[in-house]
Amino acid sequence: MEVLGNLFNIALLVATIRTTTPILLVALGGSFTTKAGIFNIGLEGQMLIAAFFAVVGSIYTGSSLGGLLIGVSAALLFALIYAVLVVSFRANEVVVGLALNILAGGMTISLLKAIFGTRGSVVGRGIVGLPKVQIPGARDVMGSSAQLISGFTPLVYVAFLAVPLLILVYNRTQLGLYIRVVGEKPEAAEALGISIARIRYGASMLCGLFAGLAGAHMSLGYITMFTENMSSGRGFMAVAILIFSAGDPLKVLAGCLLFGFADAFSLRLQSFGFPSYLVLAVPYSVALVALFALSWRGRPKRLRETAETIRRALSVHPADAGRDAPASRS
Amino acid sequence: MRTLLATGWARTLAGQLFAIAIALALGSVIILLIDESPVRVFVTLMRGAFGDSEKIAGTLLQTTPILICGIAACIGLRGGMFNVGIEGQLFLGGFAAAWVGFAFSLPPVLHVLAAMALAVVAGAAWVAIPAFFRVRFGTNEVVSTILANYIATLLTSYFTIFLFKRPGGWSETPPILESAYLPELFSFSRLNLGLLIGLALAIVTAAFFRWTSAGYAVTMVGSAPKFAEYGGIDVRRVGFGVLLVSGAVGGLAGGVETLGVHHRFMEGFAPGFGFDGLIAALLANGSPVGTIFTALFFGALRAGSLLLEVDTTASREIITVIQALIILAVSADLIMRRRGDRTGERRWKF
Repeated sequence: MEVLGNLFNIALLVATIRTTTPILLVALGGSFTTKAGIFNIGLEGQMLIAAFFAVVGSIYTGSSLGGLLIGVSAALLFALIYAVLVVSFRANEVVVGLALNILAGGMTISLLKAIFGTRGSVVGRGIVGLPKVQIPGARDVMGSSAQLISGFTPLVYVAFLAVPLLILVYNRTQLGLYIRVVGEKPEAAEALGISIARIRYGASMLCGLFAGLAGAHMSLGYITMFTENMSSGRGFMAVAILIFSAGDPLKVLAGCLLFGFADAFSLRLQSFGFPSYLVLAVPYSVALVALFALSWRGRPKRLRETAETIRRALSVHPADAGRDAPASRS
Repeated sequence: MRTLLATGWARTLAGQLFAIAIALALGSVIILLIDESPVRVFVTLMRGAFGDSEKIAGTLLQTTPILICGIAACIGLRGGMFNVGIEGQLFLGGFAAAWVGFAFSLPPVLHVLAAMALAVVAGAAWVAIPAFFRVRFGTNEVVSTILANYIATLLTSYFTIFLFKRPGGWSETPPILESAYLPELFSFSRLNLGLLIGLALAIVTAAFFRWTSAGYAVTMVGSAPKFAEYGGIDVRRVGFGVLLVSGAVGGLAGGVETLGVHHRFMEGFAPGFGFDGLIAALLANGSPVGTIFTALFFGALRAGSLLLEVDTTASREIITVIQALIILAVSADLIMRRRGDRTGERRWKF
C-alpha cells in the first residue's frame, strides 16, 4: 500500500514536470521581453505557429530535429514581425500581439486544410516525435524514482536548465544588464548609448526562440500531433506568470510549477470522474486567482518600495552630488 | 490607435483604407501560397456576402453580433480599457438569456425583456471581478479577461451538458419558449430585431460620447488619465464603470444571438464574435458609428466565407487571416505615423 502511494506521488510529479515544460519554456522566452520592457501578449500565437510547423517540418524532413528547427523558425518569424511593428513602428503592443495570435490561429487552420486536406487535427502521417533521453545508470542508483530525472525529451532538460542559465545572463552578462536597463530605465539606456531598439529586437527574438521550443514540445513531445488551437491559452497563462514574477527566472519557475501541477492534477481529477469541463477550467482559474491575489499583495509593496527609493534618492543625493558630477562627465 | 481622437475622420478613413489594401495584398500572397486564386477567393466572398437578398440578409445576420460586440469594445477602448473578455461575456449572456427563455413562462414582450436583462447582468457580472482588480490594484485587464474567456466557455458548456441538457439533444439546452423569440424582420431569413438593437446602440453610444459630459469624462480618462484626475474626475470609478458597461453590452450580444438566431444555447454557439467585435472596433478607431461599417465588412467576410468552403479549396479561416493582417497593417499606422519620443512611451502601457 505504501509503495503504491509512493508510486502515485512520483507519477504525479513526473506528470507535473511534463506539463510544466511547455509553459516554462514559453514563460522564460517572455521573460526576455518583460525584462526589456515589452508586454508581449503574442506568446500564444508564436507557440501555436511553432507547434504546427514543427509537425510539418518533422514530416517533410523525416526527423524530429528538422521539425524542431522549422517550428522554431516559424516562431522567430512571428517574433520578428512583432518586433518590427512594436519597436520600429511603435504600434500598440497589445493590438499587435492579439492580431498575431489571431493570425496564427487562422493560418494554422487554413494551412492544415491546404497541406493535409483535413480539419481539426493531424496525427500519424510520419510525424517523428522527439527522442527520450535515458540517463545511463539512473535506474540502478535511484530505482523506481529514476523516472524523475530520466526518460524525458531533451526539451524538458533544456527548459529546467534554462532557469539557472537565464539568472546568469541577467546578472553576469552585458546583454542581460542591457536588457534590464532598457526595460527599467530606458532614459538611462539612452544616455549610456545603448540602442533601445536593438536590445528590444534581440529580446523579442530570444523570446521567439523559446516560444518556438515550447510549441515544438507541444506537438512533438509527449503527443505527436497537431490540433487546432492546441496551445489552448498556455501562452496567456505564461503572460499572467510574467506579470506577477516581473520576469525573474526563479519566480517564473515557481509559477510554472504551480500551473504544471494544476494541469497534471486536473488530468488526474478527470480520471476520477469529475466533470471534464470543470476540471479543464482548473488551470485557468488558478492562473486568474494567482494573478489577482499577487497583484493585491504586490501593490502596497510596490508603493512602499517606490517611497523608499525616493526617500533614499533624496537623502543620498546632496552628499553624493559633488562626487558624482565629475565622474559622469568623464 | 495612438491617433484615437487625435486626427480628423477623413485622414483616419484614408489610413484605414490603405491598411485594408495592404492587408488584402498580403492575404493574396498567402492565398497563392495555399494554391488558390486570390481573385476567385475574393469573388466568392463577395458572392457569398451580397449575391442575392437572402445572402445580404445572411451578411446582416452575421453583422449583428459583431456590431454589438464591437460597441462593447468601443466603450472599453474610449475609456482606456482593453476588454478582451467580450467573448466570455457573450457566452454567459447567451446562456443566461436561454435559461430565462426555457425555464420560465412569461408574457411575450416581458419574456424578451427579462431574458435580455439577465443577459446584460451576466455580462456585467462576469467582468466585474477583473474590473475591480484593474482599478483597485492595477491588475492587467487584458490577461485577466482573456483567462476569464476560457473559464466562461467551459462553464457554459458544463451548464449546458451537465445541468440543463435537452433530453436526447446533443450539447444544447432545451429550446426557449416562443414568447422569448426576438421578432424576425423578413420571412426568408432569421434576420431579426437584433440588428436594429445594434444600430440603435451604436447611435446612442456615439451620442453619449459626443454630447454628454459623462461621455467626455470617459474619453478624457481614456486618453489622458492624469489630466482627468487633475480635473476632478474619479478615474477609478469611471474605469470600473466603463468595463462594467462594456461587459453588459457583451452580455447583450449573447442574449441577442440566443433569442434571435439559435433559440437555445449550445456549445460553441458564437465562435469568435467577441474577437471580431474587438477587431471591428479597433479598425473603426474606437468610433461607434465607424464600427457599424467595419462590423458590416467583417459580417460580409463571415457570410462570404460559408460559400468559400463550397466553391474553393480554401478554408473559411482564410478570412481570419485577412482580418488579422488588416489589424496588423492598421496598427503600423503607415500613413499617420508620427515620431513618438525615442524611449517609446505608449498609451496603453500597463
